[in-house]
Amino acid sequence: MNEVKLFLGPQHPGMHGNYSVHMYVDGDKINKARPTPGFLHRGFEKLMERRHWMGNLALIPRICVPEPDINEMVYAMGVEALAGIEIPEKAHWIRMLVLELARIAVHVMGLGFIGGPTGMYTATYWAIAQRDLLLDLFEELTGARIYHMFIVPGGVRKDLPEGFSQKVLEKLDELEEKIPEFEELILKHPVIHARTKDNILLPEDVVWELGVTGIGMRTATGKKYDLRKVKPYARYDQVEFEVPVAEYSDALTRLNTKVKEIYQSIGIVRQVLAKMPAEGDVRVPVSSGNALRWTVPEGMVYSAVESNRGEYGYFIVSDGREMPYRIAVRGASYPQGLLGVEKYLKGYRIDDASLWMDSMGVCTPEIDR
Amino acid sequence: MNSTNNTLEQLKAALSPLDAYIAADRQIAMTVNPGETMRALTFLRNEGFAQLSILTCIDWIRDNDFELVYILMNWEKGIHCQLRTRINRENPVFDTATDIFPGARYYEREVHEFFGIEFKGNEDSYKPLFLERWDSIPPLRKDFDPQAYSDSKFPMRDRDKIFKSRTGGADNE
Repeated sequence: MNEVKLFLGPQHPGMHGNYSVHMYVDGDKINKARPTPGFLHRGFEKLMERRHWMGNLALIPRICVPEPDINEMVYAMGVEALAGIEIPEKAHWIRMLVLELARIAVHVMGLGFIGGPTGMYTATYWAIAQRDLLLDLFEELTGARIYHMFIVPGGVRKDLPEGFSQKVLEKLDELEEKIPEFEELILKHPVIHARTKDNILLPEDVVWELGVTGIGMRTATGKKYDLRKVKPYARYDQVEFEVPVAEYSDALTRLNTKVKEIYQSIGIVRQVLAKMPAEGDVRVPVSSGNALRWTVPEGMVYSAVESNRGEYGYFIVSDGREMPYRIAVRGASYPQGLLGVEKYLKGYRIDDASLWMDSMGVCTPEIDR
Repeated sequence: MNSTNNTLEQLKAALSPLDAYIAADRQIAMTVNPGETMRALTFLRNEGFAQLSILTCIDWIRDNDFELVYILMNWEKGIHCQLRTRINRENPVFDTATDIFPGARYYEREVHEFFGIEFKGNEDSYKPLFLERWDSIPPLRKDFDPQAYSDSKFPMRDRDKIFKSRTGGADNE
């Protein structure tokens, strides 16, 4: 048989942005795959070295498009660790509220977008509609739908608006009623079931070889490796939640885990709203000086949070001036998106390639940066 | 914090690093000699720091050094470790860590592309990854000036000239 070279992408093979894979196929079987990133390379790491600490806030949410809030959180956590400041109690709780609402939004979207590679767009439309209702909440809280720039070094920008908690609770009740419909439509759909069950496997040794984190790691190893539990930040040690795990990692298990995590996040948001202090400041200055131009003491720190795809981190270096000296971004899906595609996409069929990308949680803007 | 302290003492005793301290909550930072790096990485991996979170580099142009940073994660203890080493900026060659952490392969390729550091033993590290047809010095080095590069690649167009040719030379003012 002749081997043929085919291109997957560069336009949205799964969902999150432009990415291309060169596939060498024989019939419809992939013999060799080479990832070709770079379509979304915007040079953020260099740009950040040329902007003030505060000015970078406008850049960083754009590094991961579907879940931008984690960028603000790791950046703020890193700067606070370097500056050695303690932020107000209430700010921690508002941050958790934002992060968990974002996690719900991105999981709902990820759940629906399985319709892309499997050819059932109803799921996608339903998911986008639900996500939009959550984005309405963000719009009210932060003024923006996607890129919020709300979590800033030193706390959060503003306190919650009046009556906001009530709206969040109503929206969550509504969402909770909808999720069984999603399960019915997506997880029990015969075609999606057939395509995802026992397909796109992720064995435990591959997890350690590549450095995969997040749902992939937890379903493959069966351990509760979630940074919110293992290395709690904000006030995650004061809320109760379960980390869903599994003994076996195929595409269907990972989809199921997403649903379980949505329920856990809804639970966390409810606890956050109940336990949040009613009064108090939400922001402190990082250091003296102009609100937009301040310095950060010398040092190097790595800060990490649990994103919907796994460990997401920034390595921040300050030389004591008004701009960062160097910031390196650890995209959560970097390992599976590059080395994973090269080593483990082979052997699958062409039509499973985009399912592979989606199910492994590959998010290209954070790989290219 | 206690377990971080214990781990720090244990690593200090085993690796005798040049410098070791607690960088943040549950985070250890260590500096070792370049020659000791692979031994330290192997030791750390066997001690539970089984995941390479990221390999990156810092350009200390005033010291004429590149600093390589390996960030490892111990999921059992919930501790991150920054392992750092400095190599000479004039001769940026280092050994590959892919034998210890296979996941380092693309990180090394990225560091090569953005800093120009060669990793001996990683046959892929010379290939371009994110930048297509890059024709200048590696862009994350501190002596690379993005403004000058951008100005030379995408020169400003003479707005008046374009405007006048389109409107038949009539002066707008």
